[in-house]
Amino acid sequence: MLIELDRVTRLYGIVIGVNDICLSLPTGAHGLLGPNGAGKTTLLNLITGQLKPTIGSIRVLGSRPGNDPELLRRIGYLPGNEGMYADVSAIEWVTYLTRIQGYSAREADRLARQALERVKLTEHMHRKISTYSRGMRQRARLAQAIAHEPEFLILDEPFNGLDPIARHAMTTMLRQWIAEDRSLLVSSHVLHEIESLTHSFLLISGGRLLASGSTEEMGSLLTAVPAEIRLRLDDPRGLAAELIRERLAESVRVVSEDELLLTTASSLELGQHLVQEAAAGRYQIREMRAADDSLQEVFSSLMKIHRGQA
Amino acid sequence: MNALGRVPAVFAFEWRRALTFPRLAWLVALAALPPVLLGVVRSAAGSDPPLEIAAILVYVLAPCLACMMSVFLGAAPAISAELEGRSWVYLAVRPHGPLAVLLGKYLVAVSWALPVGLIGAIGGSLVLMREVSWRLITVQCGLVVLSCVAYAAAFLLIGVIAPKRAMVLGVMYAIFFEVGASLVPAAINLLTIQYRLRCLLVRGMEIDVSRLERNPILRSYLGEEPAIWHVSLLLLMAVGFVTVAGLLLRYREFAAAPETEG
Repeated sequence: MLIELDRVTRLYGIVIGVNDICLSLPTGAHGLLGPNGAGKTTLLNLITGQLKPTIGSIRVLGSRPGNDPELLRRIGYLPGNEGMYADVSAIEWVTYLTRIQGYSAREADRLARQALERVKLTEHMHRKISTYSRGMRQRARLAQAIAHEPEFLILDEPFNGLDPIARHAMTTMLRQWIAEDRSLLVSSHVLHEIESLTHSFLLISGGRLLASGSTEEMGSLLTAVPAEIRLRLDDPRGLAAELIRERLAESVRVVSEDELLLTTASSLELGQHLVQEAAAGRYQIREMRAADDSLQEVFSSLMKIHRGQA
Repeated sequence: MNALGRVPAVFAFEWRRALTFPRLAWLVALAALPPVLLGVVRSAAGSDPPLEIAAILVYVLAPCLACMMSVFLGAAPAISAELEGRSWVYLAVRPHGPLAVLLGKYLVAVSWALPVGLIGAIGGSLVLMREVSWRLITVQCGLVVLSCVAYAAAFLLIGVIAPKRAMVLGVMYAIFFEVGASLVPAAINLLTIQYRLRCLLVRGMEIDVSRLERNPILRSYLGEEPAIWHVSLLLLMAVGFVTVAGLLLRYREFAAAPETEG
């Protein structure tokens, strides 16, 4: 197992950072999603051993994080905030951190160069970090996380502040990392960034784990949630009445003479019913647009459930 | 490789980073302070002062003032600088990283302060005494080494205990404890580094304190223990302070507070 959390709670005084999280993640790539202030960084700090859980236990790669040198050798971490030394070059910084990782000066230099080449920073690696753009600094930060070739890379908001080109470059690098069969846990509050990397997600909000699994698994959680469906057909009023009568719709709204907007908590049954009606020729359905089934919708719906809005 | 194996990397890196013009200028000023002030004293006096007086003057300016200030600048902010710069996290997620950084920065603080103290002590001694006293120079150099080692450890510990107030607490410690408490004729003065250094000055310079034997207050300032006792205690204090700092660092959490949570 990559990560095992057993009823983990972390309190900061009376403030709850992470609340009663139980989780088992296999090796592989996973996305940690949640809005700002959701508890993502606290969770990553717990996983990297910088914080200890107030209640519960954590195992990462089979070991308890926190002062475990063996585990720290196997982990690479890109923190959410920059915290780089402005007065040194990327090669000096990455070599230094790799040396603290336990490598000799020569080996650390080789690994640092290799990592900087991997993030495409070789050309600028002798320049002071203070002269770097945001994207270059982010690449240097990624280099320090991967230089010692960890098994498990943990990234906290790696796309923050990057322009589209830098985002694309970061995505490409991380895809390459995943393709090498290495594990990755990447946090973000922007879904499509994660969606382009992995289909295994953890959704966290208010310190609680709302859901985990693949996009489909998360989608299946939403079957009981009223979904919005837009239909274009010849007789919206007739269908609206029928759906209410059959209790297949929670609400209906005739938008125009050929358009119906409805919400339903029985998407599957509604779908089957509409197919039958269309096949029988009772309605000419020209267009049926279900609510967006992308991860964004899953995310929004789960957040609504969490907030008690759905 | 354990924490000690990583210390040279931290030492080399931090030493290079510390090599900046403002820092060099400040250290040069500190190193020049004892010779300049003692030069003024010498020219005002017009002749070499008695050796005992010279020893006290050089001691106050070099092993005390110059060394204390030099190590204060290097050791007190050792951890707070990383926390404020948010670079601590990169070090904390390395095997033995925090301890290696602590020890490496301690050595950097000592290594930067040593030349300052030594230049101050040797320069001050030579300027003050036209008739060169090798005993004066040797004793002051020894005190400089011990002062740097002990004070750096004390400031390092203060920096770990209260990283957000390291500089303020460091100044308060220096003024109220090392200067103030060391002059109190009570047991508390035995806890200060200053007391040990002062006793070593008296032993090293073979200052005649027989006339003080009838005065218990003055005797409490200078002690009666042998020099080796004071040297051992100073080294033990330094090791103890660094060990406690290392243990605190190991078990303390410096990760972001929830208000900075992302």
